[in-house]
Amino acid sequence: MADQPLPNPDGAAPQGANATTEAAGQGGSGGLPQFDPTWWPGQIVWLLIIFAVLYAVLWKVLLPKVGGAIDAREGRISGDIADARRLKQEAESQAATAAAEMAGARAKAQKLGSDAKAKSAAQAAERQKVEEAKLNERLALAEADIRAARDQAMTNVRGIAVETAKAIVEKLTGTAASSVDLEAAMSARGA
Amino acid sequence: MAAIDPLHQFAIEKVVDLPPVSVPGLGLVDLSITNSVVAMAIAAVAICVFFAIAAKGQVVPGRTQAVGEALYGLVDGLTSSMIGHEGKKYFPFVFTLFIFIMTMNLFGLLNLFGVAHMFTPTSQVAVTAALALMTIGLVIVVGFVKNGLGFFKLFVPSGVPVAILPFLVLIEVISFLVRPLTLTLRLFGNMLGGHVVLAIFGSFVAALGAYALSTGGAAYAALIPSILSFGSVVALTALEFIVGFLQAFVFAALACVYLNDVVNLGHGH
Repeated sequence: MADQPLPNPDGAAPQGANATTEAAGQGGSGGLPQFDPTWWPGQIVWLLIIFAVLYAVLWKVLLPKVGGAIDAREGRISGDIADARRLKQEAESQAATAAAEMAGARAKAQKLGSDAKAKSAAQAAERQKVEEAKLNERLALAEADIRAARDQAMTNVRGIAVETAKAIVEKLTGTAASSVDLEAAMSARGA
Repeated sequence: MAAIDPLHQFAIEKVVDLPPVSVPGLGLVDLSITNSVVAMAIAAVAICVFFAIAAKGQVVPGRTQAVGEALYGLVDGLTSSMIGHEGKKYFPFVFTLFIFIMTMNLFGLLNLFGVAHMFTPTSQVAVTAALALMTIGLVIVVGFVKNGLGFFKLFVPSGVPVAILPFLVLIEVISFLVRPLTLTLRLFGNMLGGHVVLAIFGSFVAALGAYALSTGGAAYAALIPSILSFGSVVALTALEFIVGFLQAFVFAALACVYLNDVVNLGHGH
């Protein structure tokens, strides 16, 4: 079997078929073609050359690109996440600022309101005091007027009483009483 | 009978005849380009083309780029998890090892009927031995460069009673020397076995089917095992794709393990 030229499915050149026969023949009947050392050095040398070239191309050219793309993506994703986190923090701090401003404004407004209230209350109290003072003054004046009028009236009453007493005395006695007596009598009566 | 020789697929054939080169100590060496070399070159070129497309560097990757980045991530995870932070230095080597072996394994399963029957260089013991020796050679070089003569501490397990130390050192040395052999034979054996089994079942399909159809009559019964064999070929082909990927991964993982031994010598022992 091994001494016959083997059919060649690749349709390779006759020299290939001869080489196959030779290889199979050296491997012995049923032996593996792999253990024929004829082709070892050539395969090993070419393997080392191809491997070295492939290694160089992958190492220096292609793998850095693939790895760079992966790193760039990871960097971009983590950068985007960091950006989003930073923006979120900014928004949160802005919201906190706005809330603080709102609270400040509310406190200010409340203060303004209470101030205005207090001011108006004070003004009202002031005006009331002024008015009360005015009223009190007028009351005092009126009371003084009344007292003066009463006093006047009272003095008039004394005069009238003296006149009346003088007239009564004159009518009864026929003689005019002196005004000094009349005055003394009036004072004795407590008028 | 030659038509179903399952070993024919491993035969080396010259494609381009080159004059032999004289190498001192070895004599004349035939460096002609053979089908094995052509398959290696096709694999290498295909890898370069694939990664040239995959390295577009888009932020949102397309399919090719996603596959390329997945392979990159696979090996990157391997080197960084096994070797640690120094694994980055050895990543290109391990990646080249992985992708080259995987591509040769998988391309070896392609068969355009009547047009091209892809050769599997990783079913050649010379190729797997060269890959294994290259890996172990790198391990030894890295070991001496990083540790000097401390490299030999690799063979001296720490915390072991002096009485049994010589015995353990002997075992460690043997296990180290066996590493290239196991690397070689694991890949070689898997590829060889898979392809032989595929060829045998494939030949059953053809031979039994041809016998049944040409003889006729009761011989039509031979179509049953023929069809069963065809099912086996389909299933085994799927299995061989898994094996092709897995063996490349195992080779790369073991390269990482061996590199870790010498890179982190004395840390993890």
